[in-house]
Amino acid sequence: MILVKDLSIERSNKKIFENVNLSVGSGKIILLKGKNGSGKTTLLKAILNLIEPSSGAIYWKGKLLKKNLYNFFNHVTYIADKTSSLSKLSVQENINIWKKIFLSNISNSQVDNILKTLKLNTYLNQNVNSLSFGEIKKLEFLRLIIENKKIWILDEPFSNLDDESIHIIGQTFEDHRSKEGSIIFSSHQESEINVSEKVLL
Amino acid sequence: MIILNKVISFYYREYKLNLSGFQDILTNIIFFFVSIFIFIFSIGPDKETISSIGIGIVWTLLLLSSTLSLRKFYQDDFENGNLLIMHLNGLSFGLIAILKTFSHFIFVQMPFLFSIPIACILLNIANHDLIYLFSSFVIGSFILSCLGSISSSMNLMNKRNFLLGSIIVMIFSVPIIIFSVGIVNLEENFNSLISILFGILLIVFAINPWASGLCIRLSLENN
Repeated sequence: MILVKDLSIERSNKKIFENVNLSVGSGKIILLKGKNGSGKTTLLKAILNLIEPSSGAIYWKGKLLKKNLYNFFNHVTYIADKTSSLSKLSVQENINIWKKIFLSNISNSQVDNILKTLKLNTYLNQNVNSLSFGEIKKLEFLRLIIENKKIWILDEPFSNLDDESIHIIGQTFEDHRSKEGSIIFSSHQESEINVSEKVLL
Repeated sequence: MIILNKVISFYYREYKLNLSGFQDILTNIIFFFVSIFIFIFSIGPDKETISSIGIGIVWTLLLLSSTLSLRKFYQDDFENGNLLIMHLNGLSFGLIAILKTFSHFIFVQMPFLFSIPIACILLNIANHDLIYLFSSFVIGSFILSCLGSISSSMNLMNKRNFLLGSIIVMIFSVPIIIFSVGIVNLEENFNSLISILFGILLIVFAINPWASGLCIRLSLENN
């Protein structure tokens, strides 16, 4: 589905990375691994068409990504290294907003089950700013499921999460893969996720 | 149809956000009235003087009050990544700028519409001037929202000096103040002045999505 061909990115006359090749098909989990500053986030941003590559190209369903951008956006969702939930609103209000914004048809019972799995069900009426950073991060994964897109792009999804939460997220990844979904995620730490391909940057 | 649903849900989100941050809107209005009192106390009890400069005071304070809220325009959504999420959800940066501008106009500028009659009483502005003030405010405040969108999106790239954006808005607001005050003071030229103000609105409204959209894109690229 996504093909990254000979991609090089240069910023302020400094080479971030060069000739990166990547192919993301259905049911694949791709890990971008590298030290801080190696260009993991830059590559993810390039895939999201936020950064212009110096050379190379990105294709979506055989067409240049730029020419097929909004079709690509219909299938992709992104979790950045920051949290998108609205801190002044409660967990429930955030869920309601996400369901409306992403025109999601997820049922309330499905949301309840995910909240229970993520151990967030007791915080439903609490404001997000009263949750810990790890809990807010877990809430982001609920957004992924509400969005119900085929391709997940995640930047450092395991930072600030304990081992148990990482295990739960790993299961969520496997579940998504079994539904023919694809995942590209960056990480500088080891994880138990069974990845299809590792790209070293 | 899908895009219409997304726009409706965008405003649902903005409504919820503004409701939870209602104290910010209230602070703007309190600032507006406190400033009016400061003007009244500094000018003295002469009704004629206050009445003659009243429209100018109202417009100056509306401008200052609206610049107070500019920091919230894009900054929060930029910092928590929601601008990017909205974009990935199929809204172009230009469309986000237009929707945000309308949101600022509705949730930040419109509450002043209810404050203007009270300000008119405090500043001894004649009742028949109120309709002119309202019409110039509706157009002028929307121009301020468009300018606020452009300057706030520029500020996303400049994290060190927030005041710069406010100064840009104030400089570009000079013609709006001139024509808006002129509408009330020169009632016989109402049609021509309101047409000029409307013309300015069309120009800034056309520029806003391009300029703001580009600035948002560049700031996300460099973030």
